[in-house]
Amino acid sequence: MEIVVIGGGIAGITSALELANSGFTVHLIEKEARIGGQAASFCCKATEVCSKCSACLLPQRLSEIASYPQISILTNSTVVGVNGKLGNFQVEVCQKPQYISPKKCIACGMCIEVCPTMPKAIQPPPPEAVPYSYSIGESQCLYLKREECNLCREICPTHAIIFGQKPQRQKLNNVGAIIVATGFDVFNAREIGCLGYGRYPNVLTGFDLERIFRNQGSLKLSSNAKEPKKVAFIQCVGSRDENHGYCSQVCCKYAMRLARLITYQNPDAEVTIFYIDLQTAGKGFAQFYKEYQESIRFIRGVPIEISEAPSDEVEVKFENIAEGRVERENFDLVTLSVGIAPRKDSWELAKVLGINLEDDGFFDIKGPLNTTETNVDGVFLAGACQSPKDIPDSIAHGISAAERAMEVLQRCQ
Amino acid sequence: MPVKMGIFLCNCGGSLKNIDFPKVRENLEDLEDVAFVDISHNLCLEEGEKAITSRTLTENINRVVIAACSPEFCERNFARLLEKLRLNPNLLSLANIREQCSWAHEGDVTRKALELIMMAVDKARLLQPVERKEVAVNKEALVVGGGFCGMKSSLELSQLGIRPTLVEREPTLGGKLKELEGFYGSQREAMIKAVEKEENIEILTSAEVIGVEGKIGDFRVRIRRETKEILRTFGAIVFATGYKTEITAGDFPLKLGINIISQKRLAQMLQAPTLEASPETIGFIFDLSDENSRFPTLATLNNALAVKQRWGSEVYVFCKNVKVDSEGVEKLYREAREKGVMFLKFDENPKISADDGRVRIDAGDTLLGEEIALTCDLVVAEEKLLPAEGTEGLSSVLKIRTDSQGFYQEENVHLYPVSSERKGIFFVGNCRGDLDLGRVLADISSVVAIVHELLSPGKIMVEVERVKADPQKCVACLTCIRACPHRAIQLVQIDNEKVVAEISQLACDKCGICAAICPAKAIKFEGYSDDQILAQIEAIGVS
Repeated sequence: MEIVVIGGGIAGITSALELANSGFTVHLIEKEARIGGQAASFCCKATEVCSKCSACLLPQRLSEIASYPQISILTNSTVVGVNGKLGNFQVEVCQKPQYISPKKCIACGMCIEVCPTMPKAIQPPPPEAVPYSYSIGESQCLYLKREECNLCREICPTHAIIFGQKPQRQKLNNVGAIIVATGFDVFNAREIGCLGYGRYPNVLTGFDLERIFRNQGSLKLSSNAKEPKKVAFIQCVGSRDENHGYCSQVCCKYAMRLARLITYQNPDAEVTIFYIDLQTAGKGFAQFYKEYQESIRFIRGVPIEISEAPSDEVEVKFENIAEGRVERENFDLVTLSVGIAPRKDSWELAKVLGINLEDDGFFDIKGPLNTTETNVDGVFLAGACQSPKDIPDSIAHGISAAERAMEVLQRCQ
Repeated sequence: MPVKMGIFLCNCGGSLKNIDFPKVRENLEDLEDVAFVDISHNLCLEEGEKAITSRTLTENINRVVIAACSPEFCERNFARLLEKLRLNPNLLSLANIREQCSWAHEGDVTRKALELIMMAVDKARLLQPVERKEVAVNKEALVVGGGFCGMKSSLELSQLGIRPTLVEREPTLGGKLKELEGFYGSQREAMIKAVEKEENIEILTSAEVIGVEGKIGDFRVRIRRETKEILRTFGAIVFATGYKTEITAGDFPLKLGINIISQKRLAQMLQAPTLEASPETIGFIFDLSDENSRFPTLATLNNALAVKQRWGSEVYVFCKNVKVDSEGVEKLYREAREKGVMFLKFDENPKISADDGRVRIDAGDTLLGEEIALTCDLVVAEEKLLPAEGTEGLSSVLKIRTDSQGFYQEENVHLYPVSSERKGIFFVGNCRGDLDLGRVLADISSVVAIVHELLSPGKIMVEVERVKADPQKCVACLTCIRACPHRAIQLVQIDNEKVVAEISQLACDKCGICAAICPAKAIKFEGYSDDQILAQIEAIGVS
């Protein structure tokens, strides 16, 4: 029996591995060129001790899944049609042209050397990427633009580069169940204009910080290449507001862990966290908070406005509740702790599968005692596409979905 | 059998230009034990696989050295290929000449590549096959705890074809469900009936686990049932021993009684058909001792809403932070505020005192920036969620650590949340921490999936002697037994006299701690043994 898992993030990968271990053939369908999802851009937040952020759990599973014979990974692919019912779905998948075949690419890097464009149209994969193959950017590649250049294709020792491809459609038959693990969108902080994201270079999001620490290992301001001294985090950006009736569950934790990392790397740094309610519960995290709360300044209330200040600083306007007045303070860097939002394209998939969305835009569940089943029998949910989840919760939910799928299939056989 | 080695060099499609491959081959060819040195363009693709296959079979080699890209990408595939060729995968030795050599340096790196390969060659000479065999496992599972978690786990296990035995120390099933009303209470009868009806589930009530010996696939469990003691064997054990709630005495200077009550008592009062006079003002307090308060938040929100609906009292909630980081709690919080529940957030713990038969709360509200004095008819005190009675005793029987609050299993990000350091022993639900319903449900189906995967084939593949203790060298000093986090080592008597350490390959997690710590150097970890590591170090600079 075959199972389709839609989405190659941590939840989808976990479900796929779990099902493959139990003897199912799994098709893992990923929209992007590589699997790994959002967690692939997260950084390790350890100082001299591990901060238990779980970012390291993804690479482990990636290397496991990469060479798993019973799991076929379809990248650049989306589900465009579903027919049938529990135990016998037919799933139609559309694969965008890939130009470099992941099955043939050995990541030798010869193509990038000959690529004449600047910046290079061909990009190497990040170190732990699965599949580990190069990719071609359509907007820069001379061949794809004007059919003028053929250098990479000529030099590729394994003939992995193929131009002139069209999107390919294929049908997966005999699919017993479908697991939806499409994840989330990071809230777009530009939607809250008064916070200045995208306008001021020293206003970043928590996800930006994750990427900076991951790629560069330390935090330097883009404006003066120095380590920031005064750093503010603003919580609940895109969570718990009039448009988002839920807590994203991850932001307080990543903000505090990043705050500890910043003060560890630069002991002169002072970190302020503006918050509504600190979410410090959870196994292990309550202890973490107890140990580090003294080194962080906490201010209740979320700032209303961020503006530019002299010498590349940013001015934060906030209410000092204790004193009962509005204050302004300058920071070197303001980090917006953006939340987890439902994917903008989830309604398209919902339409294809016939499943419901709940009020906030996440996929809806069957009932309170069943957080992985949907209104369509045989279609299951895993991870943050159901509601905001951190990495360990996504893993647990991914196994959960796999287990429900196995059980339901066993019952209908 | 004499060592006969085949060396495969991969130039990654000809891209590793700063390594002079013919020169490397020249240097390697004349080495002792080396049958051949091949240069290939891409060993990782199909043609490479074919080349390795045909050369290995025709030359009949018994060690394979591959110099290619990072083992991260290729090791699993090459190991699988060796297995296909009926060669033990442990006889493979890899040298990373791409990421750690060619790509890392400018200019000619032939010498370094040669050194890396020499290291792999010298290690390969010493490699020993690690055989694997199938070990039969007991297909039955033990579930300890007959509450919501235990019953649901048993039901789901039996639906997947695993026979669970459900042990409950009380005379009846139900656990905390017996005390809960509302949604959970409504599940009680149906669940107990379903469990009792399911023929696959064996129910042992008034029974307690008093001893656990053995390892995954073969746990020998002593169960005391009333006065009798039963010995049974199981393949895996799931602990769902639940929680208890307690008002920590230090938090409340006033004696608990008429005016200061627990959430549980409030729930009972709400259920009572009539109340002579419903309280006019009710205060809820939590976050006094620490802020690990998901459970108190949820209980407070639900009960505050019930109070509003039933009695219409004025409701004030005193806390530091409302813990909304569980599914649906933000919505509940909003509903409570819309219905008129007031939330007052303090920084310093409020003062609670008696006031003419009522209770006075003095607190600083950080939102108003003012001191507030409120006299309540009823104060509902914070209740901490703690591990159930007996958790401590059971954890010492199991030799499994608990965290600072006494819950099972310290947090370890590298384990699935429900797994423990001991293979085959699992913890689900509130016995491992303060979890909300969504997380409890995820726990249950995770454990069911993992147990099913472990036990349903009826056998587990294990490496026979990856880690072994040499009985000649072992002095039974117990160092390894104390150090092993997986409880995989025990003392056995050999030849009716000497007592030595023996490592169970089933329980062993291949962490290598014992091999590193053994003072007598009696424990050998094949693939990382002292002589193999030293041989690699000595190979540097020889070429």
